[in-house]
Amino acid sequence: MKWKKLGKIFDPTKHVWKENFMGYAQSPQAIVFDDFVRIYFSIRNQDNIGTFISHIQFVDFNKNLKTIINISNHEVVRPGNLGCFDEHGIFPINVLRYNDIILGYTNGWSRRISVSVETAIGIVISKDLGFTFERLGDGPILSATTNEPFLVGDPFVKVIDGIFHMWYIFGIGWKKHSDSAQPDRIYKISHAISYNGIEWNKEEGKQIINDKLNEDECQALPTVIYFKNKYHMFFCYRSAFDFRKNKDNAYRLGYAYSNDIKNWTRDDSQVGIDVSKDGWDSDMLCYPHVFELNRKIYLLYNGNEFGKYGFGLAVLEM
Amino acid sequence: MFEWEKLGRIYCPYDFENRSDWMFEFAQAPCTLIFDDFVRVYFGCRPKRDANGQYVTYSAYADLNKTNLFKIERFSNKPVLKLGNFGCFDEFGTYPLSVIRRDNEVWGYYAGWTRCISVPFNVGIGLAISKNNGETFEKLGEGPVIPYSLYEPFTISGPKIRKFGDVFYLFYVAGNQWVVVNGKPEISHKIRVAYSKDGINWNKLNKDLIPDRWGENESQASPDVFFANGIYHMFFCGWVPSSFRVTKNRQIGYAFSKDLNNWTRDDSKVGITTSASGWDSEMVAYPHVFEIEKTIYLLYIGNEVGRYGFGLAKLNGNL
Repeated sequence: MKWKKLGKIFDPTKHVWKENFMGYAQSPQAIVFDDFVRIYFSIRNQDNIGTFISHIQFVDFNKNLKTIINISNHEVVRPGNLGCFDEHGIFPINVLRYNDIILGYTNGWSRRISVSVETAIGIVISKDLGFTFERLGDGPILSATTNEPFLVGDPFVKVIDGIFHMWYIFGIGWKKHSDSAQPDRIYKISHAISYNGIEWNKEEGKQIINDKLNEDECQALPTVIYFKNKYHMFFCYRSAFDFRKNKDNAYRLGYAYSNDIKNWTRDDSQVGIDVSKDGWDSDMLCYPHVFELNRKIYLLYNGNEFGKYGFGLAVLEM
Repeated sequence: MFEWEKLGRIYCPYDFENRSDWMFEFAQAPCTLIFDDFVRVYFGCRPKRDANGQYVTYSAYADLNKTNLFKIERFSNKPVLKLGNFGCFDEFGTYPLSVIRRDNEVWGYYAGWTRCISVPFNVGIGLAISKNNGETFEKLGEGPVIPYSLYEPFTISGPKIRKFGDVFYLFYVAGNQWVVVNGKPEISHKIRVAYSKDGINWNKLNKDLIPDRWGENESQASPDVFFANGIYHMFFCGWVPSSFRVTKNRQIGYAFSKDLNNWTRDDSKVGITTSASGWDSEMVAYPHVFEIEKTIYLLYIGNEVGRYGFGLAKLNGNL
């Protein structure tokens, strides 16, 4: 597989926002409409105690994926209520069409005292073509359970033969790199199914993608697409420690394939994309999202600094 | 009205000068496990506050002489449940505990406490299993068996496990709102129920069982269900978030049901309230009903949410 990079296509710092957003356009995810492509992402501001809060916004591109024709600049999903799982932001959101509505699966963040955060997966629904979304309830649809004790997140949902499949991540540990360091989290990719998109059965603590780096490898944001008689999964992975500044430990994209949706073979040698020598994606590649448009397969992704300065696009050379 | 005769206080931590550090303060939310020759009462207890002024909570037990329930035969020599690991739902507290026998094991459902930034805590219900007659419990996993969910967004707490017929029933409370009172979030939670065939996989009814009576956004707790004379009886407690820090008042309420789903609240029947003076003059709370030799008893805690221990009442007449 070989991806041809088309460059960075959106930079949130180059636009004027009604809210005091300070950058980041993380985890771009697309829905294709008849005459445009809507790309959702998470942008940040800071709350009154100076911590980051992620909010959902979108940008509409002409179907050439070059020309911006609209930017949301309104409240797409309202913030979570006091004490709720998504009170401190939503990042990312995964969107898909389902009958006449658009479903959004959210990764909600809430801040904790001993560890920095907990996450869980929520559901929101849009009846106005994705312009705004409403929560089905204030709580999550997937959260920590007996064998997945924390950090359930990063949902990606696909309906295959009438069954909802979700690939997501769950935490397996909080570890300190050194005595003085803040604890860092370790998470792995897993799979759940549902018959209505709301009630899910998780595989409960089953890691479905092998580690490449070591047992502390962090795997995130799976995205799955079917072509050439196979399911293809792209995701990002990194070292558990020293991953923010050290480009050797930072996020890269990984790849796995499956013939049956259940069993996955990891083969990063086929991923077909790596960091650039210089520029916006020279240190890091993260938060991939694969979608099809005009019989071509595209990859949206973030680069350096976890997408602080936007996201880029690549196209698969078949 | 039921006639509960108060028999007095069984346990006050301050009466035991040599008590362990980990059970230094409080005795909260008692529940029983009845043996042939003694009654084990589990309760929540706390070491002194840490350097940051924070408490953690453990579960302990006291074994009571079966013919004289005011005679404490022994205490657990360590917490019956460990606190959760770093980042887990039960890192800062494992209480209350509610137990049920299953063959040679004792299954314990407990509330696990973690600490949050915007609100003081969040809570989920875990499962732990004892293979030594309830002496100690091992967790089924590191996460909760009843987590918060779509229609129960936070603070899933206060489990009471029961089995009627082939079905396990877990009565518990689920948060419906953090009410901001004088700038501080106070939890309002309501009594709920979930069902299970195996005690591990649960279906929530997702419905408040008991209507408010004490006040707006009242917080309900300790839904203790006891079957007698063809009816399910629920004793529970509650308070009003907007005022209880001032009134310090918590009361016991009562409801009954024929089917475990539909409950009729009738606090006029409860038959127990605060005393004019003494250890339970402000609060009677966290009721637990049990039966020994055809006598029905009620364990409950008193002032300052059990800071001064728990006591016993006896039912005169029938439920």
